[in-house]
Amino acid sequence: MYLPSAVTKHSEIEAAIDEVETRLSPDVVRIRYEIGEDWSGQWAIFFRVVLTDEAARRRLREVATNVVWGLARQLDFPAMGVFPYHNFRSVSEQEALREPAWA
Amino acid sequence: MGLADDLLEDARHLAAKGDAENRDSCRRRAISTAYYAVFHLLVDDFVANWPFLDQRARIARMFNHQRMRDASFAPKDKRNPTPVETQVMDMITAFGQLQGDRHRADYDTGWKLVGTDVANAITLAETTFSKWHAVRGEDLAREHLLSMFGAKR
Repeated sequence: MYLPSAVTKHSEIEAAIDEVETRLSPDVVRIRYEIGEDWSGQWAIFFRVVLTDEAARRRLREVATNVVWGLARQLDFPAMGVFPYHNFRSVSEQEALREPAWA
Repeated sequence: MGLADDLLEDARHLAAKGDAENRDSCRRRAISTAYYAVFHLLVDDFVANWPFLDQRARIARMFNHQRMRDASFAPKDKRNPTPVETQVMDMITAFGQLQGDRHRADYDTGWKLVGTDVANAITLAETTFSKWHAVRGEDLAREHLLSMFGAKR
């Protein structure tokens, strides 16, 4: 069974996430991720990004772009064999849904 | 306005209706429509250069969603991409994101959508329109669009 090299690079991914969380704080509250297959069966890395309510409501595009580029600058997704997906929600939205994957 | 612009406007209307009526179906259609706005933006641009008007619709139908997403692209210098390369890479990432979100919006009833998901899809589509308009005349962008159509390098 084929596995992308991303599955062996958790420490590298965590380091990139830490850097982005720190640099984009307080707008970015936390980033979670998982590696799996997407709708087409292609390997992907799914980032789940929790933003402050203020950032999600007023600066979503700007902050989202910074997150996407901040991660892409440090992680070579094509070389890791994954396509990156980034989904965002605000602190209030997560508090309402309480999804463990985003906690 | 063309189909792509109309779809982007429709996506905004659906998002607003979804918010106003707290209606999940409208939010899902907004996300799906935002993707199709970008899809048609690219396809329409490609076929507009086909000289035979009566064949354009058939050429457009040859585009394949997955092949469009999987078209390969790499900047000459990964660590120092040119401004045009950066715009094209942004477009590629946005297209894949919108396509993935569209698939979830249309088929994954377990997806707990939030307002930020909808806002992200709409603003991402809007930004992709702007970026594509800025680079669409560049050789690099046209080459990539040809790859999205399915042409081998």
